[in-house]
Amino acid sequence: MSSDRHTLYRWGSLWSGAFLAFSGVVVAVIAAAQEKRTADLLGELSWSAVGWGPLAALLKGLGGNLLRASASHFPLPLLDTRLWLAAGGLWIVGWVLIGLSIHYIAAPGEAPSPARGAPLYQRLARYRDFNWVTLLAYGGGVLASELALILFHTMLVTGVHYGKSPGGEPRLLQASPTVAFAISLLIGFAVAFASGFFGAARARRLATPEATLGLLYFGLPIPLLLTAISANPDLQLRVGYRLREVSYLAGLLGRPELGYWLVYLGLALMMFLGITTGFVVTGSGKVDIRSGFELFIARRHVAVFRPSLLLSVLAILMFGVIPPLIVYAIVRAAEAAVEQTRIRALGLIDPLKATEAVHQWKMREQTPTAMMTTLSVGGVGVGVMALIIVLSVMSGFEADLQQKIIGTNAQVVVSKYADSFSEYREVMDKIRKVKGVMGETPFILNEVMISSGPNIAGVIIKGIDPATVGNVTDLRKNILPGGSLDALSHPETIVARSPEQPRRPEDDKGQPVLQGIILGRELAGSLHVSVGDRVDIISPLGGELGPQGPLPKSRPFRVAGIFYSGMYEYDAKFVYILLETAQKFFNMEGASGVEVRVSDVDDARRIAKAIGQELDGWPYRTRDWGEMNRNLFSALRLEKLVMAIILTIIVIVAGGLIVATVIMLVLEKRKEIAVLKALGVPDGGIVKIFLTEGLQIGIAGGLLGLLSGISWCVLIEKIGIKLDPQVYYIPELPVKIEPLQTIIPVLIAVLVTYLASIYPALKASQVEPVEGLKSE
Amino acid sequence: MPALEVRNLFKSYFLHGKRIDVLRGVWMDVEAGELVSLVGASGSGKSTFLHVVGMLDAPAAGEIRFAGRDLFEMSDPAVADFRNRTIGFVFQSHYLLPEFTALENVAMPALIQRWERGSALRRARELLLRVGLEKRIDHRPGELSGGEAQRVALARALVLKPAGEAQRVALARALVLKPALLLADEPTGNLDPVTGEGIHQLLREVNQELGITAIVVTHNEALAQSMPRRLRLIDGQVLPT
Repeated sequence: MSSDRHTLYRWGSLWSGAFLAFSGVVVAVIAAAQEKRTADLLGELSWSAVGWGPLAALLKGLGGNLLRASASHFPLPLLDTRLWLAAGGLWIVGWVLIGLSIHYIAAPGEAPSPARGAPLYQRLARYRDFNWVTLLAYGGGVLASELALILFHTMLVTGVHYGKSPGGEPRLLQASPTVAFAISLLIGFAVAFASGFFGAARARRLATPEATLGLLYFGLPIPLLLTAISANPDLQLRVGYRLREVSYLAGLLGRPELGYWLVYLGLALMMFLGITTGFVVTGSGKVDIRSGFELFIARRHVAVFRPSLLLSVLAILMFGVIPPLIVYAIVRAAEAAVEQTRIRALGLIDPLKATEAVHQWKMREQTPTAMMTTLSVGGVGVGVMALIIVLSVMSGFEADLQQKIIGTNAQVVVSKYADSFSEYREVMDKIRKVKGVMGETPFILNEVMISSGPNIAGVIIKGIDPATVGNVTDLRKNILPGGSLDALSHPETIVARSPEQPRRPEDDKGQPVLQGIILGRELAGSLHVSVGDRVDIISPLGGELGPQGPLPKSRPFRVAGIFYSGMYEYDAKFVYILLETAQKFFNMEGASGVEVRVSDVDDARRIAKAIGQELDGWPYRTRDWGEMNRNLFSALRLEKLVMAIILTIIVIVAGGLIVATVIMLVLEKRKEIAVLKALGVPDGGIVKIFLTEGLQIGIAGGLLGLLSGISWCVLIEKIGIKLDPQVYYIPELPVKIEPLQTIIPVLIAVLVTYLASIYPALKASQVEPVEGLKSE
Repeated sequence: MPALEVRNLFKSYFLHGKRIDVLRGVWMDVEAGELVSLVGASGSGKSTFLHVVGMLDAPAAGEIRFAGRDLFEMSDPAVADFRNRTIGFVFQSHYLLPEFTALENVAMPALIQRWERGSALRRARELLLRVGLEKRIDHRPGELSGGEAQRVALARALVLKPAGEAQRVALARALVLKPALLLADEPTGNLDPVTGEGIHQLLREVNQELGITAIVVTHNEALAQSMPRRLRLIDGQVLPT
């Protein structure tokens, strides 16, 4: 007679059981942390697990690594197995307690209700059944999207043969890592979205339990594995090489795990979008993407696209808060004065007309919701604008740095292991045949000391071939007026200069002609020399042996030119001499290597690989500029990513505003929601209406932010913000507007507003018609 | 066969944690095209009954059939569609949407049905002419008087319902596919007697012209007397007066 019994919970044992079971899990984690490797992994994970995970991960990425340290040095008195046993025991006892807390006891004696035996209204007993197909769709979807991303990326980077060209050669589909990543990311996103859509459409609800299980059990293993690989050198050796393309790309970021988790978050987000879209679209029982009616309602509820609202927000974005406020206050004051005078004059003639005018005047007051809408649009706009400006300026810095680094150092360098590189000419002939190679030049690199009078400096000396170096680096362009690169080959043309006694070329007749040397501007400044002056190069390893080891070797040079690359390190550290002179000076047969310029800077890695294949690998070694300056550029990229994430927080704050605004709207419109439901709008339709209302705010804010952001960037570019030349090596703030970087903030804004509107929209759809109609 | 069959309907609500059984096994049949008045004391559950019949509120137990369809077997989207196409509500307050004009308000059910805007507004205009508000077409609800707003609400309730002579013929032939049900919850409660009588007159006319089945809840005994069939809700039961 189960109907005569009812359930009773003993809260004490329920909660203590839950506490014990949880302690069991904690002990298990501690037991797992006993081992070094799992401790490292747990250290990584625990950061992601705390509430502000992404931010903490960022901070960690930037420096601190406290938890990992504490996890591995945490002293525990118990042995491993005993810990595990304790964990299991606690867990089991906890669950037993939870089970014991549920009691069935006899129902209190009471007369049966008059409805006994009447058919129960089915919806009252509706329970949420677990949908296995949906779980499979969500779990399989997230796993498939991860695998698709990795697979497509690897395939596109290594190249796929497809069909045959007219010549009979197999065609190769290949892309540079970033392009391949973009393509495969889109594919992964599409898979995640589609599976989320399908799962939700199948279950006809959001199916949160299924989504949680799917994302945790099916989605987590791959990012966990990748994180483990990046954290564990052992694992890297055993399986890492199969994923080398993936880890290479993540490595470009400086913190590979951060990249993995960001991508995982992105996939989860896309799945969430798919789920909500699937729910909204199929909420009416059939696939229904038409939303003309919903838009019709939403546009009346929040009139975002009003000229007054758009103009005022744009004014605030362009000129700051204060100036537009002052202008507004002045205009309103003047208007009020004029209107009040008019009303008074009217009142002397016709009081009723005056009342009407007062009424109309009052009608212009903004409602709180309209005010909130304006604020939300402004918030989103500020976030998008800040993102666009900061990212553009950082891109400007990056482009500037890249241009300077590539301009001075070649994009690809071919060097040789061990032996002397005397066959560089033949190698250059081979390199020339590789597709994408624009120029090549041999060089010798060594470290020496340079002195002029009392001034001395350690420098990197580079032997170059003036005939071909111009095809590879910007050195020729960077020579300041007064000097000349060609003077290296013709040292006799250099006009000697001496502060004490000015000399003409003929004065040097009879004396040996000094070889030319080219110095950086900063170095020339610190040595107090200019074109025509004499400097001495001292090599510590001269080759001749003295009583106490090799004797330093010194040789005079005459300054043939001064270059200015714009990079302080280069201008202070590099000196150039003729290749042949360097060979003689260092007793070398060949060159240190060959520098190569390629047609596409971003594709340098692939071309470097092709050169390597052309040269049959060992003993030759090719490196591209990205590899040579990996630390610098990955630091820059990480910095940019961090800035983007921090600024996205602004957009998220604006998203909070939107949540508040839409919740206000929902509360304000409870009655209307009830009426719409009574008129036959399905739940999905109500969700659509309020989603559209939030999205309008996001789109308006995003577009205004885009407009003002680009205007600001153009303004900075055209007018320029001067930088202190004492501190910075760049005269003006560099700006580089990249289309992708301007579009992405807008997309982020729209995405955030969409996410922000989902909760209030779902709440709106749950308004019971009767409740709404009662709230008079 | 009656158009509306209510069987053994139970409904309780909760006041300060205490269960109040407001409907206690209601049985009721309404023939197609009938105009029924339902009277009862305040708090007797008249409005609740109307809400349950209109699928706006969930009962505890029972059975409701309209035109042979079991309402409680329908899925959520089907319920929404049923409310949209078959049921017309008129409430004590007009419950017009304040941001929209009278014309747009009347057209709302057709727009929900995703009619093309022009034809929805045309149909709405016809109905506004019928209820005598051709001069108020572009006014917002805030600019209408109580009686006018109630007429607009009535027009809105009828916009998707079958109309005209042809339908009367069809109704006469023992009722066909899409019978409609008009549920009016004290439509004159907020109006003065004269205006209220105008609305009742309009209800009777609409019932006659369109052959629409209608249940009118009221606490105005005099107006109730003017209806062809009168019912009373007492002690959670519907009884003829």
